[in-house]
Amino acid sequence: MPKKKRAGAGQKPIPKKKHSAAGKEIPMPKKKLKIGFFSLTCCEGCELAVLDLEERLLKALNYIEIADSRLLLEKPLSKKLDIAFVEGSVISKHDLDSLHSIRERSSFLVALGACATIAGIPGIRNSLPDYLQDKIKRNQIKPMKEKAFPISAFVKVDFLLQGCSINEEEFLTFLNRFLHGKTTRLEQIPVCFECKHRQNSCLLLKGIACLGPVTYAGCNALCPSENAQCIGCRGFTDDANFTALDSLFKEIGLSKEERHNLFTYFNQLPEELKEFAKENSGELPNQLKELAGENPKKKIDLEALK
Amino acid sequence: MQLVRVLNYIIEKESLSKWLESLSQKSTLVVPVENETGATCFEEFNGQSLFLSGRTDFSAKKFFLPTNEKMFFFRKKTLSYGISPNFPKGRLIAFGVRACDTHALNALDHLFIKLLGDDCFYSARRKNSTIIALQCREACSSGFCASMGCSKPTGHDILLAERPSGFIAQAITENGQTLLSAEFFKKTQDPFPEPSLECSKGLSTSGIEENLYANFNHPIWKKEAERCLSCTSCTEACPTCYCYSSSDCFEFGSGDSSRSRERDSCQLLRFSEVAGQHIFRPSRESRLRQFVLHKLSYYKKHFGTHLCVGCGRCIDACPVKIDITEIANKIQGDAKK
Ligand code: SF4
Ligand code: SF4
Ligand code: SF4
Ligand code: SF4
Ligand code: SF4
Repeated sequence: MPKKKRAGAGQKPIPKKKHSAAGKEIPMPKKKLKIGFFSLTCCEGCELAVLDLEERLLKALNYIEIADSRLLLEKPLSKKLDIAFVEGSVISKHDLDSLHSIRERSSFLVALGACATIAGIPGIRNSLPDYLQDKIKRNQIKPMKEKAFPISAFVKVDFLLQGCSINEEEFLTFLNRFLHGKTTRLEQIPVCFECKHRQNSCLLLKGIACLGPVTYAGCNALCPSENAQCIGCRGFTDDANFTALDSLFKEIGLSKEERHNLFTYFNQLPEELKEFAKENSGELPNQLKELAGENPKKKIDLEALK
Repeated sequence: MQLVRVLNYIIEKESLSKWLESLSQKSTLVVPVENETGATCFEEFNGQSLFLSGRTDFSAKKFFLPTNEKMFFFRKKTLSYGISPNFPKGRLIAFGVRACDTHALNALDHLFIKLLGDDCFYSARRKNSTIIALQCREACSSGFCASMGCSKPTGHDILLAERPSGFIAQAITENGQTLLSAEFFKKTQDPFPEPSLECSKGLSTSGIEENLYANFNHPIWKKEAERCLSCTSCTEACPTCYCYSSSDCFEFGSGDSSRSRERDSCQLLRFSEVAGQHIFRPSRESRLRQFVLHKLSYYKKHFGTHLCVGCGRCIDACPVKIDITEIANKIQGDAKK
């Protein structure tokens, strides 16, 4: 078939004069980036999700070196790390000590997955009734704290990769941008935005409670696309209108307990975070302030659930 | 090219899918269907059963304005750049487009082809498309197309109307005429049925663009915004919302990069964010107002037409039942007092 010329289409050589950088190597870090994976209390599913990248991870190994990982290495290859990816929540003294030492060793720390970013599944114990709390205490195998907390409660966290488990694409994009000297940021976009792009029928309209409107997008609306409610595994956006969603859940017919369980499936209620602050230093670390809705710019208000 | 003499044809019910089958062999044919989640939308034809009993939940917009598309790329190895290799090619036929949606395409044409000086991606798709419109038999439950002057199709190539034994068809353009092959269509003397739609919702549009603008601080904005989830369901279901943002993407380590554009929505907090992290519309109230005013005030004031075709999708899609006609009618009513 004869090739037709289309205005603007096809490849054009870059005029050499104007672009003196043409032909030169794009400056990439001379040494490979040293990264490490660490697991606190969790299922280690997020690190597995990274391994799921398979060939693409191998390709990335041209630019990065995995210098610490319990799952992949016999012993750490380096003490200093450029990026530490930490999964899991802090629920024991052991977790806390590891976290502090990881922070000391690394220039950039990324919380990996729901347990690390929002306390996730381990955080369910935070709102359990007393008799269940006691049962946990009786059966525990190592000394535990009363509550599970996101790692931002204890150390400075530079970036969050959310989800249970994380989205591998997002992991790769983050790493790729980091290699190019670019930062990534959390976009205040709710799951509904992606859900609509997948042309799903809305669960809320069918009378099924869904946390899509208050939850960070990035999973491509995984659950609603399979006709399952979003349970908030990627954390709540700063822009969430909890009061309105809670009233809608009430209208749909959810009891107080059901609403509480849904909101706290993965996420923590602001008042519980505040309680934690009282037990500890009395002041909420900055990043927890956001989770607890204390940042005046980002009103998170769960009035109706109190 | 518009045809001077419009003739009527009929096609039997049984022949419809054979006709569509033949259309889909030479072009990309999109048809209204119900998807696995129960939502009605347009998808590529593959012999599936059609959804013809009403307006779809989602319009065919994404085939003209994809939610995400690569625009151009740079390749380091070959030192080259160019427009996306996926630059739209080939003919697109959209079957079963309702009157409101033909007006919505018209509005997008106005913006992307006329005002933006021929956006090459949109216009490549649009100029290479054929619209087969389908007349509504009944008004839909949340639409108000009659109030917006959009209950008769515009800019289409073929018009179909359903009748008990099949469809009656009219080619409006030469392009449309070529698709009405004698194999499936017979000439008829029957008159084309005139639609008589009684929309259940209505909007009083006289002076609406000025009245809404003059009532920028009307209490209704705050009241409605209290319920609003800023979920973007309204803008993402709307057939005329066109906002997009663009972002750059790097291939892993190779120095190759590309720029793509993706859908954006004024209901999102970061939509109006500028350098220095200033956000022009931080409150939900101001974002909801932007949606309604863009549809029913600003666009008309600047460009002479409304950006709303009265399809009612934003009303149906909203989980908390915020209704653009209720808001606008309330302000219209108060303005007339
Ligand atoms: S199903 Fe859930 S995520 Fe999807 S639009 Fe409805 S509320 Fe949003
Ligand atoms: S839809 Fe909700 S629960 Fe499901 S993966 Fe996405 S954020 Fe997590
Ligand atoms: S669909 Fe309704 S709740 Fe969602 S952003 Fe639009 S008006 Fe607000
Ligand atoms: S604003 Fe609502 S009624 Fe108007 S065109 Fe958009 S979705 Fe349809
Ligand atoms: S500004 Fe909002 S209402 Fe207007 S086109 Fe963009 S998304 Fe739609």
